[in-house]
Amino acid sequence: MDAHQTYPSESVGARAGTPVTVEKARPGQPHKGRVFVGVHAHLQDLPRYAGGLCAKLILEGYTGFLVRTTNDEKFGGRDIPQNILNNEQEHLKMASVLGFKDVFDLYYRAHRMNEISPTEIRGRLILLLRMLKADTVISFHPSGAGESELDHAATGRAVEDACDMAASESDFQEHLEAGFGPQSVVERYYFHTHPDQPFNRVVDIRPHIEKKIDAMIECRSQGGGASGAELRARLAREGKRLPLLGDDDRTANREYVRQFLLDEHRDYGRRHNLQYAEQFLYVDHRPPTKTKVEEYVARNAVGI
Amino acid sequence: MQRRRFLSRSAAAGVAAGFGATLKAASDAQSPSGPSSDLPSKFTPAAHSIPHSNYSPFTTPDYYTFADDLIIERNASNKPHQGKILAAIQAHSDDIPLFAAGTVAKLIDEGYTGYLIRLSNDEAAGSTLGHGVVQNDADIQEAAKAMGLKKAYSFYYRNHRMDDNAAIEIRARLIFLFRMLQVNTVFAMDPYDHYDENPDHIVAGKAVEGACWMAGGAKDYPEHYKAGLKPAHIREKYYHARSPQGHNLVNRVVDISSYIDQKVRTNMANRGKGPAGTAGARLRQQLARQGRKLPLLGNDDETANFAYVKHFLMDDFRILGRQFGLECAEAFRYIGPEPDYLGNIVKYAEEHSVPL
Repeated sequence: MDAHQTYPSESVGARAGTPVTVEKARPGQPHKGRVFVGVHAHLQDLPRYAGGLCAKLILEGYTGFLVRTTNDEKFGGRDIPQNILNNEQEHLKMASVLGFKDVFDLYYRAHRMNEISPTEIRGRLILLLRMLKADTVISFHPSGAGESELDHAATGRAVEDACDMAASESDFQEHLEAGFGPQSVVERYYFHTHPDQPFNRVVDIRPHIEKKIDAMIECRSQGGGASGAELRARLAREGKRLPLLGDDDRTANREYVRQFLLDEHRDYGRRHNLQYAEQFLYVDHRPPTKTKVEEYVARNAVGI
Repeated sequence: MQRRRFLSRSAAAGVAAGFGATLKAASDAQSPSGPSSDLPSKFTPAAHSIPHSNYSPFTTPDYYTFADDLIIERNASNKPHQGKILAAIQAHSDDIPLFAAGTVAKLIDEGYTGYLIRLSNDEAAGSTLGHGVVQNDADIQEAAKAMGLKKAYSFYYRNHRMDDNAAIEIRARLIFLFRMLQVNTVFAMDPYDHYDENPDHIVAGKAVEGACWMAGGAKDYPEHYKAGLKPAHIREKYYHARSPQGHNLVNRVVDISSYIDQKVRTNMANRGKGPAGTAGARLRQQLARQGRKLPLLGNDDETANFAYVKHFLMDDFRILGRQFGLECAEAFRYIGPEPDYLGNIVKYAEEHSVPL
């Protein structure tokens, strides 16, 4: 199976003329030994925008780590302390479902990340990228058009800058002495969170849709993970039932997600004859096998 | 701190009035007089001025407030601090050398392993900013060696602009270093130093104070623990004031008589900044051009530099020491290990509990 197929772009959001690559399942474990770090702001972000991609990459050999930048205190309908606790616990469960090896919560206050120090969060992310030896990151677009969520914007910006500086021997030199050397993050997948944002990669997530759904239903305090059970309970109080929701809460939650929360993924897929897809702006920073200088020298060097 | 400005003024005065006038002023300054005061007797002074030699503004602060439990820390034998780690944190290359080098050298001699951490890039002292950065970067390595420290770190924040940096970021980096090095004891500018003109000093002191508090906590920067670092429990802090304006609470006076030569050599290492460095050689050369010499300065630059620092710049530390019956001293706001609060309660319970 050809893992990647590239098409001229006619899709909404893709820049005119920018080819869109369809990334499909790859057999075996081609990414064995490689590490990706998913960085999101809120519990529901990564499962919604990239849950399928993360499950795919882990199945294909990547080791995945998950970083949540906020404390999610505003989400869950409870008081702030209880929201923080609930989101923290659900985050661990969600990460486990997707197969992440470890989770890092930075706990910046939700909806207030525009007031934090960019250098401080960047420093923390640089340490994480170096410590985990990240080859790839999955996060928000650093300057995503139409992104009204300020925590998303702050997170994306910090991740982008951290990726650039993690490879430098001159930034945070104390990390090097602690044994965490420069780290080149060579591949980046930026979430597609708004129709105005560019994308150039469509990932076929059909083989991983059940895992994505499993992850999404762990997001109960936000993201609609418990909505199926809540709807089922409400209908029961009214003496009604919806066959779609089945006979238990887990089934109700899963089917609710499948029916109502995956429309965008069906839509992304339809354009490429896929059942479900996630969209990303993919940035490839892998060094070429030969630099332009090396190529020039190879072509033009003569004997002395 | 515009130390160069002071040196420039001194040099200008020397040129304008001749060195005879300059040296006479210095000679006059060698007999410090006690403080005179119009304070009515019904008031108890809340701050104490210390006589100064007036050879340099960057020695001992103008005022101290002495605590009633002040301790004189004397030499300790048999390496009582073996296995302990100290970090001497400074905003600028000359801060620790001027204000605390004697005590740092003493603790190293008594068993500590030590590290020097400079927060700024010292760009504001040099013929150009670039030259200033390079020279001071080299200087801190030499100063660290002179004090017996194992290594010098630098964060390179811009000199005189550290209040533009995120306090939390500086603090985070210090927490990382404290944990990585397993620091037990710190030296830094007093975070509550009064009347300090230099914004970098205040930022440095506050950052150190916060980092000391948080470096031992489990919940601050937990990713450090996943990286294999351990909590750092900073049990002792030596805070010094900046002169001349500085004024801090002093509860510890350290006898540095045995380490004064190390302090001198540490200051000699500061060629790019501060009143020491090569000032002795420059004075010797200037006098030679006038066909004169100062016997004190000897016959070579090294001797001149050493003698200049020891005679002129260490004098105020001798004056401070004399107030306490010591040959030389440095003064600190010292914060020591906390009592074993919980242990005390357990002990109380053991002693006072009765059968049910």
